[in-house]
Amino acid sequence: MRSYLLIVLLLLLFVLPFGLLGLLAVGEQWRFPAALPPAYSLEAWRSLLAADNDLLLGLGRSLLPAGTVAALATAGGFGLARAITRSRHPARWEAASYLPYALPPVLLAVLIQPFIIRLHLSGSVGGVLVGLLLVALPFATLLLRSFWSGHITEYEQLARTLGCTPRQAWRRVLLPLAWPLLRTTLVQTFLLSWFDFGLTNVLSVGKVRTLTVQVFTYVGEANAQLAAVAALLLVVPPAVLLLLNKSTLLRKP
Amino acid sequence: MLSKARPSRLPSPLLSLYGLLVVGLPLAGLAYALLGSVGLAGPLAAGFTGRYWQALGTDTGLLYAALFSGWVAVASVGISIALALLLVLRAQPTLRRWPLPGLLYVPLLLPALVVGFYLFQLLSRTGWLARLCFQLGLIQGPEGFPELVQDAAGLGIIGAQVLLTFPFFTLLFRAIYQESRLEEYRQLTLTLGASPGQFRRRVAGPLLLRRAAPTLLLSFMATLGAYDIPLLLGRPYPQMLSVYLATRLQRFDLRELPAAYLAGFLVALGLLGLVAVLLRLRRQTAVR
Repeated sequence: MRSYLLIVLLLLLFVLPFGLLGLLAVGEQWRFPAALPPAYSLEAWRSLLAADNDLLLGLGRSLLPAGTVAALATAGGFGLARAITRSRHPARWEAASYLPYALPPVLLAVLIQPFIIRLHLSGSVGGVLVGLLLVALPFATLLLRSFWSGHITEYEQLARTLGCTPRQAWRRVLLPLAWPLLRTTLVQTFLLSWFDFGLTNVLSVGKVRTLTVQVFTYVGEANAQLAAVAALLLVVPPAVLLLLNKSTLLRKP
Repeated sequence: MLSKARPSRLPSPLLSLYGLLVVGLPLAGLAYALLGSVGLAGPLAAGFTGRYWQALGTDTGLLYAALFSGWVAVASVGISIALALLLVLRAQPTLRRWPLPGLLYVPLLLPALVVGFYLFQLLSRTGWLARLCFQLGLIQGPEGFPELVQDAAGLGIIGAQVLLTFPFFTLLFRAIYQESRLEEYRQLTLTLGASPGQFRRRVAGPLLLRRAAPTLLLSFMATLGAYDIPLLLGRPYPQMLSVYLATRLQRFDLRELPAAYLAGFLVALGLLGLVAVLLRLRRQTAVR
């Protein structure tokens, strides 16, 4: 009995957000004290199909930086993790990697903003990319550090001894071995950028209207319906990633 | 046989570039903030002055923001840890039952901003819970509903942080529980005469907390620097640190900038101190 109660309670806790956001996204003229919307409409969802729809553009503006950052941070982090392992002071490099990752994104954005302005990147996608990479790259490097153990170096040396070229050793031995961790890193760095609001908002001065920025704008305009649609759109990619692989969401550096 | 690569004295060009980005840029930002706080950098820099540092003693805004952030972080992480421990140590069989194994991952899908928006729609005085209470005749109007968001104690912020954090802690503790073979230890301690409560208090609880300590501290720091949720669910006063800093730096009055730089510099310094603790903890848990 107690365990059923617990299951119902947790189910309610975790499913209610989607229920309420769904009602807000289709409800019209829904004001206090009505417990349910007086009318329903799919207009906000239908308008998504229009080519110049702001939400659809926001989805693209979120996907592009998140995808780019995930790819660059994972590829860069893989090489950097190897370079750190082979350096003279790996512990120092590891400690240094915590620096941008440890500061709150908004504080980091505030600190680097004068340089972003001097580089003429303020208010542009380029500036946002630099800011997001500053967080995602050390995160990926720390996550991928565990791969480059002595064991892996021995595998690599064995492959070379058996006649592999350096490129073949990478393609046929190292990358297949690293793939599960690389996949986790790709997912996590993607989500890191996808979920970001503060850093993007500060560095882009509100000009790069990603989905998170749009949610905030709609909330500010008291447009709960569009804010709910944008919020539900934000949940789609992580949900797909969760369905593909649960474990990729949990691992921490 | 290939010879083992010997580390060179100089870092590789890749590492040098990396160092420039991840250490150089934030440290340059910190230095700029420090120089800005003494009037040597920034748009209105007019030469060295110590007045912004002296004004720290009378300006209580930063102190209140730090105290409020500390309270929210301690309460959120504390409640999340307690809930997660309760679930893992007292409801282990239930956690294995459908649909809980998959359900616990659901909050990991939700961006903080979305959780903030959802809780505002749920808990505000004209929110869904207030509407239900009105329909049930429990309140006569919005003012009859308790203030649960944008309140002085930060209850809404704490609720949102707990909703996001406790499922993650539950998954983490459960993974550690299985990895550390605590079920076998439980059988052993019970055989040796300990009660289930003693096992939870003296064996499982301390072990789970010790092994999860670096991640718990990381979550504490993330909550301390939270921005999205306090921006939606917090009050203009007191503000949490990130909101306080961003608000001060985005004011139109440029004369406010040096004081804002000083606040940013001090907050960054404090958080870096916490990182040092985190690294020490990490080394200790690695040794064990």
